[in-house]
Amino acid sequence: MVGMRAAIAALALLLSACVAPARSFSAYEGKAVKTAEDVTSAVETARLAVRVAIRDRTFAPTLSVILGEAEKDAGAAQGTFDSVQPPDDRSLELRSKLDELMQPAVSALADLRIAVRSGRLDELQETAEPLVKIGAALSAFSESHS
Amino acid sequence: MKKFLEITLGILTAIGGFVDIGDIVANAESGARFHMSLAWVVIVGVVGIIVYAEMSGRVAALSGRAVFDLVRERLGPRVALTNLLASYFINFLTLTAEIAGVSLALQLASSVNYLLWIPLVAFLVWFVIWRVKFETMERIFGILGLVLIVFVVVVWRLGDWHTLSATALHPSIPKGEGIPTYFFFAIALFGAAMTPYEVFFFSSGAVEEHWTRTDLMVNRANVYIGFALGGILSLALMASADLVLSPGGISVSHLSQVTLPAALTIGKLGVAVTIVGFFAATFGAALETALSAGYTVSQFFGWQWGTFVKRVEAPRFHAVVILSVIMAAMVGLTTIDPIKVTEYSIVLSAAALPLTYFPILVIANDPDYVGEKTNSKFLNVIAFSYLVLLVIVALATIPLMIATKGGS
Repeated sequence: MVGMRAAIAALALLLSACVAPARSFSAYEGKAVKTAEDVTSAVETARLAVRVAIRDRTFAPTLSVILGEAEKDAGAAQGTFDSVQPPDDRSLELRSKLDELMQPAVSALADLRIAVRSGRLDELQETAEPLVKIGAALSAFSESHS
Repeated sequence: MKKFLEITLGILTAIGGFVDIGDIVANAESGARFHMSLAWVVIVGVVGIIVYAEMSGRVAALSGRAVFDLVRERLGPRVALTNLLASYFINFLTLTAEIAGVSLALQLASSVNYLLWIPLVAFLVWFVIWRVKFETMERIFGILGLVLIVFVVVVWRLGDWHTLSATALHPSIPKGEGIPTYFFFAIALFGAAMTPYEVFFFSSGAVEEHWTRTDLMVNRANVYIGFALGGILSLALMASADLVLSPGGISVSHLSQVTLPAALTIGKLGVAVTIVGFFAATFGAALETALSAGYTVSQFFGWQWGTFVKRVEAPRFHAVVILSVIMAAMVGLTTIDPIKVTEYSIVLSAAALPLTYFPILVIANDPDYVGEKTNSKFLNVIAFSYLVLLVIVALATIPLMIATKGGS
């Protein structure tokens, strides 16, 4: 019985890992908000990591892992959202709006990762600066569409 | 010191149960998303595991046999086989995640991709089980895992008791989170606290250490101190994430993010201690789950088991351990997300909880096994209440998992 339940659960997990289509604007908007929150989380993780690194409170390998994962998370969130078919024109507009915010986020996170892995720790603060505005814009997006 | 060393079995078991790779991330994620609103679940879980682990330790001390060994004898092969299949599957998932978890901790220290560490970690897990005495192993990893107390220091230094107590004492669901997600996380935390392999490992460990009637006090000390410590570490992880990660809207999905509160409040020393703690806790949990795989299978089939006998006398036990470790490493190398694996394994274990705990309750009330030391009426009332709760949790787990898409 439990084995059966576990199998059903595993199937459910596989199904839940797929991207469900959005059949209406509100469903699509919900996905957009979730995506914006995920990218915000990655951006804020990177900002916090840079903050502690600038004050020499963490190790370079640990920082490198944190920033690499943040970049991967933001890229994955963007990729998943972009794979959802927008159901109408309004959704298409929303998609462009969010993409405009996510693209610079992913790019800034990649810049940070490159800076750390090439040992340019003194450039971290400057490289992380765009993330302040990007994070605020993503949060504002989530707020206005929640 | 001798007295302290006597409780390392309970500490190791609890660290494996409460702060293994999935629990570390799940606790931090709960704190970041729900503040301290789920702290009550940890307390309910701690009391539950204390009640049942005490019974399983008492049964082992008085009968000289581990719980799984007795399940088949007392409840028959059919119930025991169902129990074995469910617990082995969950245990295997956890072992996979723990091996990957140790590798992730090494990645944090070296920035070398965790996949490259997996074969070495798998070998080390097997090597420690093969070469190191059970007591030594339990002491090293139990005590080393305690360095995760660094999270208590983090919370202490942040000192925002007002914020923490506000949501801990008046739990509510934060804006943007749904009721099903809240209860999904509640089940995950409860499942983590009462993971089945904890009681199997604890009672088998008691047999490995040759506990007898005179060790009943040691059993209680192990359970009360060890599991309470596990609960405190769990709450500290939750609180540190609430205070440091939640304000930035950070959702925790990686082990690396959990180092940030220690980095911010303590600095490099805090990060170093945290990584050592992650290594010890996940390595300890990997040992526990690898041994539990050998214990449950061998005890079900009636084979000689344990590290207390010569290796040549328990070949099938060691074969199960090594095969489980190899298979877990192979699954880990497929790049499956270890955090997700263990989070799902603790949720799935919630579905199997009644199967684990019901037989313990039956055996702890059977004078044939525990003589006059059967459960008191008071203990039975509490244990039965928990059993009802376990059934409710088991029934709710899968629907909640589907409804919330695994808590996302």
